Amino acid sequence: MTRIGSFARIASVALAIAVMAAPGFAATGTANFKTLVAVGDSYGAGFESNSLNVHHSIYSWPAILARQVGLSICTVGSSATDNCFAQPIVSFPGIGPELQLMDISTYPPVITNAAGSGAPLNTTFGRPFNNVAIPGANVADTFTVTGTDATPARGVQQLAKFILRGPVTEVDAVLLQKPTFIAIWIGGNDFLGSATNGTVAGLTSVADFTTAYNLMLDKLSVSGAGMVVGTLPSNPAAVPFFNTVPTVLINPATRTPVLGPTGQPITLVGQVDGTPPVGQLLKGSFVTLPAGSLIGQGFGIPSALKPILDPTNKLPFFGTPLPDSVILTPAEQATLTQRISDYNAVIVAAAAKRNIPVADIKGLFDRFAAGISVGPFRLTSDYITGGIFSLDGVHLSDIGYTLFANEYIKAINSGYGTHIPVASVSAFMQNNDPATKMASGAAAYPGMMWILSDEASKGLLQMFSATITAPPATRRHVVH
Amino acid sequence: MRSFNKIGLLVSAALLVVSSTAFGAGFGLFEQGAKATAMGGAFAATADDPSAIFYNVAGIAQQHRMTVIAGGTGINFSNQFTGDPTDAFTSGATGHYVRHTFVPPNFYAVIPIGTNLTAGIGVFTPFGLRTNWQDPWIGRFVSRDANIKTISVEPAIAWQTSDGRLAIGAGAEYRRARVVLARNSTLPPGTVNVNPFAVRFIDVASAYLSSDWDHAWGWNAGVLFKPSPTWRIGASYRAPMDINFTGDVTITQISTGNAQLDALIKPGLPPSQPVTTTINFPSIANIGIATTAIPNWDLEFDVVHTGWSRFQQLKVDFLTTPAAGFTRVQNWKNVNSYRFGANHPVNAAWDVRFGLLYDKTPQPTVNVSPLLPDSDREGASFGVGWHNGPWIVDATEFALHFKTRGTMGISSADNNFNGTYRTDANLVSLNLGYRF
Repeated sequence: MTRIGSFARIASVALAIAVMAAPGFAATGTANFKTLVAVGDSYGAGFESNSLNVHHSIYSWPAILARQVGLSICTVGSSATDNCFAQPIVSFPGIGPELQLMDISTYPPVITNAAGSGAPLNTTFGRPFNNVAIPGANVADTFTVTGTDATPARGVQQLAKFILRGPVTEVDAVLLQKPTFIAIWIGGNDFLGSATNGTVAGLTSVADFTTAYNLMLDKLSVSGAGMVVGTLPSNPAAVPFFNTVPTVLINPATRTPVLGPTGQPITLVGQVDGTPPVGQLLKGSFVTLPAGSLIGQGFGIPSALKPILDPTNKLPFFGTPLPDSVILTPAEQATLTQRISDYNAVIVAAAAKRNIPVADIKGLFDRFAAGISVGPFRLTSDYITGGIFSLDGVHLSDIGYTLFANEYIKAINSGYGTHIPVASVSAFMQNNDPATKMASGAAAYPGMMWILSDEASKGLLQMFSATITAPPATRRHVVH
Repeated sequence: MRSFNKIGLLVSAALLVVSSTAFGAGFGLFEQGAKATAMGGAFAATADDPSAIFYNVAGIAQQHRMTVIAGGTGINFSNQFTGDPTDAFTSGATGHYVRHTFVPPNFYAVIPIGTNLTAGIGVFTPFGLRTNWQDPWIGRFVSRDANIKTISVEPAIAWQTSDGRLAIGAGAEYRRARVVLARNSTLPPGTVNVNPFAVRFIDVASAYLSSDWDHAWGWNAGVLFKPSPTWRIGASYRAPMDINFTGDVTITQISTGNAQLDALIKPGLPPSQPVTTTINFPSIANIGIATTAIPNWDLEFDVVHTGWSRFQQLKVDFLTTPAAGFTRVQNWKNVNSYRFGANHPVNAAWDVRFGLLYDKTPQPTVNVSPLLPDSDREGASFGVGWHNGPWIVDATEFALHFKTRGTMGISSADNNFNGTYRTDANLVSLNLGYRF
């Protein structure tokens, strides 16, 4: 027994060394998670369904990573001396109105903003937060935007104020903590704002991205901490904001395409690549979520169909082309995808130069697009029903962030020779966790303009093509 | 007449105490008598008590006094499932069986008829399975509870040459069995993946499948040969058997907490309905060699070959909505177990016994699942025998270690449940006997 006991002790010590302080086999620094910190954006903050609140920030990917390496997450009652992973804590229903699915028995299903408002609860926490991810931040923002900036450029600073809590940037706040490990996912906002507005204008140039990404890593490297970064998703088809609304007119009652006089689906009208710049949407175009409410008012439906589809003038914008802002044309996608590929090459090169492992987030989203199986469950990138994305169509669900965090764990294990267990989605089995229920809301958060408005959500759902059985609508749009 | 009444009573009692265990290579149970179990199950060439009806029916021919033995084996499990730390579903999860002591019973009687012929009857439990996982159990979508119960009654007869060097025997086995399977269902793939109101995975229904007691007939035969005064060779064969079961599956919807969602799910659930299934039980062939060349020691070594390749699948047909039926592929292999036993008479009343065994699993890694997580086993046994006048008492302690079995990340598509199973079992066998 004694021998077994001492063997067990030796084994457990060896395991602890392996997990907590293994020398990097390939990577620079070590995988010591005593002071784990995270640099990032809305994904890092655990933003979901248009809201930052404590129900979901505890499932931000950095928080999930922290738990898997054995750290607890600080609570409102935690003190600065507690060895816990600190994040901003915003009371439910959050900053940003959390979108809630209220009713699927009616058609269309009803999504509303949660009522009420949330507020930051731990603004006086006595040390910088371990997780300083700021919704809306891009790469350059991590070392330029401070918590005391007076003139917000894109709304980022409103949240920066209570996340950074002083005249420091994300990078500064991280370095102040003498971190032992830095987990980084940043770059999404260098293209996302453009993409969700159906344009390629405003994309960060590759040169600027290269400079900013390397500068950020150089600044963080001063700490000597181990690091991990991740690539960026480049496939709009993996994201409900782009993959939900079809390019053809859909009959809300049957959720199948309306057939025109020739028996073919009716392609919507809007921006195209070429001259004239407006026409039937090109094959392969993406129509964004907010277009749902526009189509419901007649936008994008060919005017020639008005006598048949809207003889009583119920749709005020019938025949008006969809605005450019809700369409990603094939040419725009090509530009976007190429740009993101370039960013990813920059990330991979910058990481390789510094021996930093890279989480394959691009690959993860490509798998989202195809659908993935986890244990007995199937997950897809379908809006509302897929399980991976939240109701804003861009940010992940608790389940989605878990899969995201696992890509980081795999990269760390591979780069540092650690054996951190991946996080399990079984935490989200309702019958194991019956208390989970979303509720109430807050005033709209103006900083995230690309996020679906409540009105847009409702309109979108008229186009919603999920396979949920719902009562048929009374009005039919079939053309004979 | 009095004796036969007693036998009848004991048979009835044994039939009532039906076994249910998760045990024996696959779900075979080779612990059908305390003496044989004490010798690691190496008993084909010894077969000198009435449990020979199970181990080698030819052995009853060498028993010249009417004898009755009855008893059972108490089996306790200690097991743990540990999720695969690289699997996004099972990582961090654990589970174990509901604590329960299983007691497969046995009863045997032999009745000499003249000098060369012996008749006998045996009641035993050649197969059994119970994997009843303690809630909350995340493997519930594969299996919450699986229970295969069997009970066999075998009339047998054996004949030996007048010099006692050769014996042959045969029996007809009437086997009754019952199957119970329980698991939960989540949303089917391809539709709604989660409860969209809470973005949580949900249990939508439980399925409880319970068969009737159904039966089949089989046979077995054995031979025992003593080439010299100190050496014995025994062999036995028990035929394969298929039992066709009828039964019912009860489908119970589990509320998601949202009436709208429940209403959408309800039409998609199959109704409770009659079901059928078949279990293909394997053949068992054993051969043993024994010697008393070392004075005062009786040593035996056996190889037991179980034809588990017949167990290719567990297929349940739903009779009302056939599409709801399911098949669990098993693809088991034929396997051998290797058994060594020793019996050492200490004095006229007491024997001490030892046994060792190594039992290969028939189950491919890809099909290891909560339904039946099998693995190679190593066992060691110790027992004592006491006989005084007509009375016989055999008692055995048997420790069985299942080698740690992991799915190696390749759990089959219909299970997709990766992790490691650790199992140990402790068995205590007791038989009481009376020699008339």
